Amino acid sequence: MARKMTTQRRALKGLGNGVLVVMILWTAIPFYWMIVTSLKYDKEIYGYEATLIPQRPTMANYATVFRETPYLLYLRNSVAVAVGSTILSMIIAVLGAYAIARLNFPGRALLARSLVFTYLVPTSLLFIPMFALMSMLRLTDSLHGLIIAYLGFDVPFCTWLLMGYFKSVPVELEEAARVDGCNRVGALLRVVLPMSLPALVVVTFFSFTHAWNEFLYAYVFTSTTSARTVTTGLVNFMSQDVFFWGPLMASTVMSALPPVLMFLVFQRWVVKGLTLGGVKG
Amino acid sequence: MAISTSTTVSLPIPSSRREMGWGERVQRALTHDRTLGYLFLFPAILVIVGLVAYPFASAIVMTFQAKTAGAPGRYIGLENYRELFSSEQFLRTVMNTVVYTAVGVGVKFLLGLSMALVLNQERFCNNLFRSFLLVPWAIPTVMSALNWRWIFDDASGLINNVLVRLNLISETISWLSDPNLAMLSVIVVVVWQGTPFFTMSFLAGLQAIPKELYEAAEIDGASVLQQFTNITLPRLHPIFVTATMLSAILTSSAIQFVLILTNGGPADKTMIFSVLSYHLALGGAQRLGMGAAVSLIFFPVLVVFIVFLTRRMLREKGE
Repeated sequence: MARKMTTQRRALKGLGNGVLVVMILWTAIPFYWMIVTSLKYDKEIYGYEATLIPQRPTMANYATVFRETPYLLYLRNSVAVAVGSTILSMIIAVLGAYAIARLNFPGRALLARSLVFTYLVPTSLLFIPMFALMSMLRLTDSLHGLIIAYLGFDVPFCTWLLMGYFKSVPVELEEAARVDGCNRVGALLRVVLPMSLPALVVVTFFSFTHAWNEFLYAYVFTSTTSARTVTTGLVNFMSQDVFFWGPLMASTVMSALPPVLMFLVFQRWVVKGLTLGGVKG
Repeated sequence: MAISTSTTVSLPIPSSRREMGWGERVQRALTHDRTLGYLFLFPAILVIVGLVAYPFASAIVMTFQAKTAGAPGRYIGLENYRELFSSEQFLRTVMNTVVYTAVGVGVKFLLGLSMALVLNQERFCNNLFRSFLLVPWAIPTVMSALNWRWIFDDASGLINNVLVRLNLISETISWLSDPNLAMLSVIVVVVWQGTPFFTMSFLAGLQAIPKELYEAAEIDGASVLQQFTNITLPRLHPIFVTATMLSAILTSSAIQFVLILTNGGPADKTMIFSVLSYHLALGGAQRLGMGAAVSLIFFPVLVVFIVFLTRRMLREKGE
């Protein structure tokens, strides 16, 4: 019996290793192609002399991106929008989540419910009226407009996430602080927030990468170079030139790097925070 | 939404005999949970109402209008809906959206489950493999779509390049513009990007199953397969449901893959509702009402998922 068990286990292990190798190749090959293309001269990218491994690696495509395209401007815009919407949604969500987790007032449960509900309404249902609204408020082609629009997603998600975390901070600690003369705001700032650091990290990660990755609103609300973010900027490159894959892959590599690095650094917390409230399916 | 009306901050009238100054009144009010609660939630309510509830309501109104951007709409009753249901393009879009979502989510589910099971085995450097397999999820979807468009490229893309080298094909294959292959190619990209989400969710679920259950089953002589069907599957069931629903909402409504890879073509073979809605509303003709109608027709289906998930996500947070 025991012997049968171990052979079964060993077979499974072998199968597992096999599947793992296939999965790693499936995941890695697109990355390989993206990076390798960005390091090739056009001669090795197109036509009969195209190579799978670059014979003469070059950074020329990266130089082209910075010299001949408004990529730096797009990068600056993405950073501005991501930082702006992260800070704003963080403040709004911390206050809201604290109220729902700790304060007692009528309508609290209804508000919690509407927050989660709004988080789940996809932007593809909202972009048309949002475009009309943004045009009316003259917020199209503006970074401020994007920052505001992204709150519609970030605030519900961050509030939901923080709400659960705040509840896990022992009430006694907060009461002790209040006995010592702290008011609600003081207790929130000095007791609850420092104890919720992991949740704050996750929330920052999500708002930042969401703004960095967002495409639909940015695409619909922006028609000029001055307010384009990285995502819409690159899609715009795609429609401009015939031989553009070298520089385009170079800018793709650079634009994918910040969220990937953030993910690798904060991975442990992010996976935990995501167990239920995933952002992208 | 009625929520917004209850947000006016009313300061309680102090019952003490002496006159209180403004500062003192505010101080007093702020010690009340009710006042402070509404005050703290006010910005969040503003966001919900202004950026989700109001646009959503105005989308519904728009579907009954002939409307272009910047101009007020003209009421035309059910005309938009009537036109949609008699349009062959729309009916094809409905079919495509269902196929795209069902196949995409289904394959992501199966691959995600196998990946999670494999990563749950003990192995040298397992953490490293896990981190790596999750990276496609962290890459901006637009970047993945652009990269895959290049991989699928007719003339010099990776796939054709390799197939020609191996002498498997004599003429390159148009992965994204062949009517029979386009949908399949788009789904491949959706799967590549979305599988890690399932892997992450399922792996978290697997790790939460107590080891003792398996040990006890082992002693009782249960086979590996029996352990899987009697312990693993039932324990993972709640996560299966949540992850699938969440993914169905987000997969069906994601616009960037199709927009970047095929733009709905060839001959509407990959047209899904988000892309059609974009084309109708902002692709030249500016028929905002029609565009809104396309996306709202799917809302009744989505709302079932959304209500279910809302309940589950709140239960998770002990609300």
